[in-house]
Amino acid sequence: MPVVNVLTDGIGEVNLRDIDVYRNRGGYAQWQRALTELQPENIAQMTSDSGLRGRGGAGFPTGRKWSFLPKNGRPRYLVCNCDEAEPGTFKDHMLLLETPHQVLEGILLGAYAIGSHHAFMYIRGEFEQGYRVFMEALAQARAAGFVGQNVFGTDYGIEVTVHRGAGAYICGEETALLNSLEGKRGEPRLKPPFPAVKGLYGEPTVVNNVETLATLPHILKNGPQWFASVGPPRSPGFKIVSVSGHVRRPGNYEVPLGTPLRELLEIAGGPREGRTIVAVQPGGGSSACLFAEDLDLPYDFDTMAQHGTMLGSGAIVFFDETTNFVEAALALVRFFAHESCGQCTPCREGGHWLEVTLNRILSGGGLDSDIDLLLSVSHQLTGINLCPLGDSIEPFLASVVRRFEPQFRGYVRRPESILVSA
Amino acid sequence: MQSFGGAVMALYRGFATTLQFAFQKKPTVQYPSVRKQHAPRFHGLHELRRYADGKERCIGCELCAIACPANAITVIGAENAPDDRRSPGERFAGRYEIDELRCIFCGLCEEACPTDAIVLTPRFEMADYRRGSFIYSKDRLLVPPDAGVGAPPDERPGGIPADLGWVTEQKSTVDIARGYDATYNGAKLKDEHKGLTLQ
Amino acid sequence: MTEAGPPQSVSLTIDGTPVTVPAGTLVVEAAKTVDTDVPVYCYHPKLGPAGLCRICLVEIERLPKLQIACNTPVAEGMVVHTHGQKVEDGRRAVMEFLLLNHPLDCPICDKGGECDLQDFSMAYGQGASRLADAKASKPKALDLGPTIVLDDERCIVCQRCTRFDDIITRERSLVVKDRGQRDVIATASGEPYRSNFSGNVTELCPVGALTSKTYRFKSRPWDNHRTATTCTQCSVGCQLFVDERYGTIARTMSVPSDDAISDGWLCDRGRYNIGFYADARRITAPLLRRGEQYVQIGWDDAVEAWAAGLRDALGAAGPQAVGVLGGGRLLNEEIVLLVALMQELGVTNLDWRAGRQRQATPGRYAGTYAELEAAQLILAVGRPPSQTAPVLDLRIRKAVSQRGARYVTYGGHAAGSFVGVTPLRSADDVENVLSGVERVAVVWDGIDLELGARLASAIDGWVARGVSVTTYLSGEANNARGAEALGMVPRSGGLPFTGMLDAAQNGRLRSLSIFGANPVLHHPLGGASVANALERIPFLVVSELFLTETAQRAHLILPARTGFEKAGHVINLAGDVLPVHQAHAAPPGTLADGDMLVALAAELAAEVPGPEDVLARATAALPAATHGFGDAAYSEGVTASKSDGMAAGKPGGGGLRIAVGSDIFAGGGTIWFDETLAELRPDPAATLSPATAARLDVHIGDRLDLLSSSGDDSLQGLVVRIDAGAPDDVVAVIDGLPEAPANSFADGDNVVLGARRAADALEPALVLP
Repeated sequence: MPVVNVLTDGIGEVNLRDIDVYRNRGGYAQWQRALTELQPENIAQMTSDSGLRGRGGAGFPTGRKWSFLPKNGRPRYLVCNCDEAEPGTFKDHMLLLETPHQVLEGILLGAYAIGSHHAFMYIRGEFEQGYRVFMEALAQARAAGFVGQNVFGTDYGIEVTVHRGAGAYICGEETALLNSLEGKRGEPRLKPPFPAVKGLYGEPTVVNNVETLATLPHILKNGPQWFASVGPPRSPGFKIVSVSGHVRRPGNYEVPLGTPLRELLEIAGGPREGRTIVAVQPGGGSSACLFAEDLDLPYDFDTMAQHGTMLGSGAIVFFDETTNFVEAALALVRFFAHESCGQCTPCREGGHWLEVTLNRILSGGGLDSDIDLLLSVSHQLTGINLCPLGDSIEPFLASVVRRFEPQFRGYVRRPESILVSA
Repeated sequence: MQSFGGAVMALYRGFATTLQFAFQKKPTVQYPSVRKQHAPRFHGLHELRRYADGKERCIGCELCAIACPANAITVIGAENAPDDRRSPGERFAGRYEIDELRCIFCGLCEEACPTDAIVLTPRFEMADYRRGSFIYSKDRLLVPPDAGVGAPPDERPGGIPADLGWVTEQKSTVDIARGYDATYNGAKLKDEHKGLTLQ
Repeated sequence: MTEAGPPQSVSLTIDGTPVTVPAGTLVVEAAKTVDTDVPVYCYHPKLGPAGLCRICLVEIERLPKLQIACNTPVAEGMVVHTHGQKVEDGRRAVMEFLLLNHPLDCPICDKGGECDLQDFSMAYGQGASRLADAKASKPKALDLGPTIVLDDERCIVCQRCTRFDDIITRERSLVVKDRGQRDVIATASGEPYRSNFSGNVTELCPVGALTSKTYRFKSRPWDNHRTATTCTQCSVGCQLFVDERYGTIARTMSVPSDDAISDGWLCDRGRYNIGFYADARRITAPLLRRGEQYVQIGWDDAVEAWAAGLRDALGAAGPQAVGVLGGGRLLNEEIVLLVALMQELGVTNLDWRAGRQRQATPGRYAGTYAELEAAQLILAVGRPPSQTAPVLDLRIRKAVSQRGARYVTYGGHAAGSFVGVTPLRSADDVENVLSGVERVAVVWDGIDLELGARLASAIDGWVARGVSVTTYLSGEANNARGAEALGMVPRSGGLPFTGMLDAAQNGRLRSLSIFGANPVLHHPLGGASVANALERIPFLVVSELFLTETAQRAHLILPARTGFEKAGHVINLAGDVLPVHQAHAAPPGTLADGDMLVALAAELAAEVPGPEDVLARATAALPAATHGFGDAAYSEGVTASKSDGMAAGKPGGGGLRIAVGSDIFAGGGTIWFDETLAELRPDPAATLSPATAARLDVHIGDRLDLLSSSGDDSLQGLVVRIDAGAPDDVVAVIDGLPEAPANSFADGDNVVLGARRAADALEPALVLP
């Protein structure tokens, strides 16, 4: 079994919320080493060399993201995105709850690497307990002198501000998150300018996912080569995957990237008794489905992209043959329509349109033309939006409509029968 | 040059045609005691229709006014009061006037109307002695709440009621004597017909 | 910000046409230089890109996806296609989404006929909708505030209105509430949307979601007869379109291309105060006093009576017994005629100063609006222009918010500009904020001449130091600058208006003609003493639209015409000579003041210049001024206002001091006689700080009277308001309200509390069962 314990090391065994326990296991050692021995450029270089790609969804190489920051002497900000709201994802919440110090150390390292003296932690509003745990951890770290002025006797000072969102999915999008942090309405900003140039309060800003940042201490500790040697060359390292759906033991599993999907299924206990998996959504609600024949594909960024879907945030949902895909499609479409900020037209109107159409199909009022309508509308609302939310509707819907068309047809009435009843 | 016989033949043919018609059924009728049935879609006097619930169809959008090639229609919109709704939407025709002397009865107003409010009826008896009385406003154009709601004129069983739109009623109440002043002929008529009352 | 040399230009190809534009230009702007059409909803040149509507899709070669033209800057060698199958498909898709839940109530929609959604759906939309379900039903005719109605169904959430309220006015009261399909335009606080610039959102709205209450269902765009003219409400001189239909003014619209003066915006006073011309109380025939009554007379008789009255006065006591007041509301041509006629008669007692303002010409450092916008420091002295010259205030907000200027005030009230403002307390403070500043704009209210004189000497000092200073005088009457420039001032020993009042008290003034002025309500000597003096004049002629407080004292009232009903020129506060065109027919029986004067001159057999001569003088460029603020030439020996007293924070003797402020909807003229705007007129209120209210033991809603320290003047029945931001020991009232005229009170005067009635002693508005 390829399950590893890197980020998840000690979870469920010891109380990692306690700073002493965390330190006894080597915690904050990398933070001390970074401040006393390393320059920010060293950490940035190590991150680049490790090939670490963002764990939040887009999979953008973290080192490259940092390199976009302009060298203009303006203050810079690091924002940790803990607004984990992608349907099917529950890894960041676990990290926050179980190893808050690891997350904090990652934030500190990331901030130091980009030369920031003020980091922000944006926690989703619903994570009430996670917020308390993190605040407690922050207080402990502050008391221990890891956060504040003159950390470890150096002249480096860092402040961490924790902000709670109000529970909007869109605030996981980095520019919407920045708006929300600034106290504005959480809706994505027009790009360009990108956050690296003009982000939080108009200053250069980097937004990184919780898991991305929590990986930093381990890259520093074991060296970039250790990280780069795991998994396929272009998507190296470990990933916590959140497996759910029709499996026996759903949960978070940390695995090396490149593990085949079938193996991930086995790790999660396999399908239920006597059932077979017919589809798998490999990267959260925004990703297209793969099907039974694709289960042997290795789970990494590039392979998923080559097969028309994405690794996303690592949320894997398995569907067995008992799934009603019309209802599944409606559930996701309703989610995206409900969470659309309403700024741009295609997402606002198209999502709503698909939702009412699917509702009508499910309630027995479907028309023959509705199948084409679903495909056509979802396609034409894709690729012309301000942010990726609008583009998230098509992949799952289109893939299941095409694959499981008979299920959809089963709900649809013939046009003649409509005419008779009218 | 035509021969004499040919000329007689031509005369004969001409008179024969005339005689032929003298014994046929005459197309003219003794109007007004006898009236002809018009084609159902004859373009005559306008009316403004109502919905079955009595609300005015006209929403005062002025599309008829802009469509009118003779500039015969004047509409000014107004806002429905919440406690006194004239039409289904927010807007209704505060003023609606058609100058029937200008109107060329082309029916473009019907075509333009988004709510089928303005229609042309087969009624044509609008003759009057005053120019001003040919400007029909809502009081004469709008059908009474209890008459002919719903169906357009050419689909109403029994045709158009004579008093629909209160046309005759309205006419009976106008002071006809004043109308003679409008034209020279009218002034002369006034002298000749002193004391005339309608009906 | 440092300038990186001259702007570089970029060459690109749009629809096959090579174009060269400055670097940084957006594709949507670059496309305007070639003959093409990129549709936009959310983009507006003055609001910038928002990227929301997605209709402006264009194809850019070598980019896989369609790009929005409104947020794509041009790049060297870029090849743009604004048409073609791919673009049309994309736009059709967006159009389908825009129309999906948009109601098809174009026939009743006020925007129908001038609606971008209609136009672009004709161009890019498809004939039928594929929506098989019912359209989303949302509230219609939502009352957003006293001026605006929202139709939520029609809204396409382009956010132009909210961005206008954020970027341009900085008031930030309009927001998008809720999200997705359920989003709705609302105020953040839930209170009604009140702004001095609210009407602009109806013009910005690309659909019929936001409509003006005053224009609702009045007309259709194709019916309107449009006249471009100049707004005559205040001294800014905004260009505006007047839309007339069947002899009524349906609405006014801003002129988007008017960057030099209005910047394309209008204030609500200029936009909505149009109903007065048709008010039933308008005077439409000359009225002659017979004892306690007025009788209607014809114009011939009126001019004869006027001429006779003047002849009597001239004959009995000579030209020094005759006076003329007015000009601030006249057109240049009329002022030229008036001055020439009075010169012919030898009359030297001429003045335009019917209110608090003493000076209208900003003097030798006069600047343009563009210079104000480019200033690094803007100093408002006296009453800030937010309520007297609203669109000028928008310029100040723009300079502060978009160009980084600093805004400071001295000797006035709260600036009310919704941008950061620093009130300065002393001349030293002013000098301090000036350090390192190169371009300064000074806006003065022209009220306190002594303060103006000190300001002028300070400005001279700054100029000597090499600071570039431009000066502005935001006054009360729209053409005060024209009146002053064209000679409507005391001539060679003549009396100013205060002197005329003094002469009237002593029986030395035998005739006074007033043109479009209401000194009883506005003159700082106070209503009672002005009225008393006017009543002692044997022959008082007033040319007015309405029976104002001043007109009620006249022996002869002449029905005048409004700025919509006559043609000529005015001079705005920046010195631009602007044309006024007749926008609709005047009511019969009225005459323009110029026509009255021509008739009077004929009756008096006096020689006045001919039309060409009048026009040449009325449109001549203003002569270069040599004086500055607060020049001794403007002095009348009367201290009109002590606005400096407020700022210096001098102790008011432990008592209560009064602050007299302006409001754009206050006044006894066009706004008072416009019933459509009754909701916008301010109540007579007394605004106190919480501490002061507690000390005086008054509460919100109480009614109280204020007495001047001498006890001669009083303000009665003021409603108590409490404002946490108000200074202590100061009671703020509004100037120019006919219910409680505050013109005899000067800023900083000590006042004492008179009678008061507690709110619970008043008639209850609601009694619980």
